[in-house]
Amino acid sequence: MLPEWLPWLLQVNDSQFPSGAYAHSMGLEELTQRDYIRKPEDLEKFLHEQIIPSLKAFELPFLARTHAAAATDDLKTVRALDDELEAWKLAAELRQASRQLGSRRLVMARKLENSALLEQYVQSDAPCHHLIICALELRALPTAAAGCAFGLQTLSGYATASMKLIRMGQERCQLIVRHAMATLAPHIEPAMAVEDDSRIGWFNPLLEISSMRHARAQERLFIS
Amino acid sequence: MHLSKPHVDAGALVTNLVNPTAGIFDNDEISLNFAVDPGASLVLTTPSSSRVYRSRKGDTALVRQTMTVGTGGFLEFYPEPFIPHAGARYRQHNVIKVAPGGELLFFEWLSPGRVARGEAFEFEELCWDTDVWSGDVLIARERYRLRPDDASLKSLRLPFDLAHYLGCFVILPEGVPFPQAEVEALGGDVSSVYLGAAPLAGNVNAWTVKAICRDSLVTRKLLKDLRTVIYQARGKAQPTLGRY
Repeated sequence: MLPEWLPWLLQVNDSQFPSGAYAHSMGLEELTQRDYIRKPEDLEKFLHEQIIPSLKAFELPFLARTHAAAATDDLKTVRALDDELEAWKLAAELRQASRQLGSRRLVMARKLENSALLEQYVQSDAPCHHLIICALELRALPTAAAGCAFGLQTLSGYATASMKLIRMGQERCQLIVRHAMATLAPHIEPAMAVEDDSRIGWFNPLLEISSMRHARAQERLFIS
Repeated sequence: MHLSKPHVDAGALVTNLVNPTAGIFDNDEISLNFAVDPGASLVLTTPSSSRVYRSRKGDTALVRQTMTVGTGGFLEFYPEPFIPHAGARYRQHNVIKVAPGGELLFFEWLSPGRVARGEAFEFEELCWDTDVWSGDVLIARERYRLRPDDASLKSLRLPFDLAHYLGCFVILPEGVPFPQAEVEALGGDVSSVYLGAAPLAGNVNAWTVKAICRDSLVTRKLLKDLRTVIYQARGKAQPTLGRY
């Protein structure tokens, strides 16, 4: 039998969903300008060595905690995690981008789903980080499915942005996303099964610095 | 730990933190608590690098640092480089709490190891936890575990294979502009340093500066220049650290 949540997932995870993600490179634009990423092979290496490990060590466990709270309508905990995520994002441009994506996603989700929970969250004046809103939006899904959706959004976001930054076509882009998702997929459930008090986090000073520099760039294509 | 040669210079108490042993060994557990009272100024520094030696029994050395700054107080933490030897296992936990109206200048310098003898990134595991609070608001949180056998060092080593990492948290009084352009100018030569600066979360004049440097000489110069630029922005004379 078709899971009830599947049509919802397909819609909110569609690349046409108006979250504004197309306008963000999340630090990638500066990395290409500095020649750290010049060709599709570099992008693939970047995803496998920097983004997938970060998803496993930080974002997916954090998403799991938020998803657990959202699934039980525990908005107090969701809000606390949203505030905590604000402090985790040291690069102001990445922080702001995450808030913009989350806020736009929340606006759209409210229109699609008549939910008192989402309505209450809008009124709370929370930061509305992308990861937090994804957890709220996907709260009816099994945790691993929510993690898979968030992982795909992250990886395809970088890959799609890179098509405007390096010489790479749609087909190569999809192959890179497919390879990255196949690598990530076996790690999603273990990453999301960590205990609440587990130590999570990841070290990526390069991406943080690239975002800080991008925010001050004289010319740029993407918002972040 | 030994507090060495405390003296007042340029309006601040300058104190050297000295570990009387050769360095930090596995199983060592050190807790340091520093409190700067309202209106007081403290500069904490170390006269030499902090070395963490090979873990012989597989245990992890642990250093906990808690720093509190009262209203109108100022704390500068300016350590020499952290040098993890081959096989080192180390965990550091920094909690920094600055009351509204307090000021902070916190540096950290992570080196790859004993590079001159060909030993770089050969430690076993380093865990670094830092929380920065402004009043009761968490404005910065970092947690990372660095291991040479996984991907955790990839981003650091992409610009420079033997990269040194320099991190900095700054809290200035309201109305004192952070010298962003001057700080960014210190990273003008991207062939030796990749640097960025950004405001932190929260409604406070708090900033972070991060840099990946080509080698120790570049890092030392950047650290000194960064300190100078920030003191100039504060309109205060730099206390002498007494070792250059």
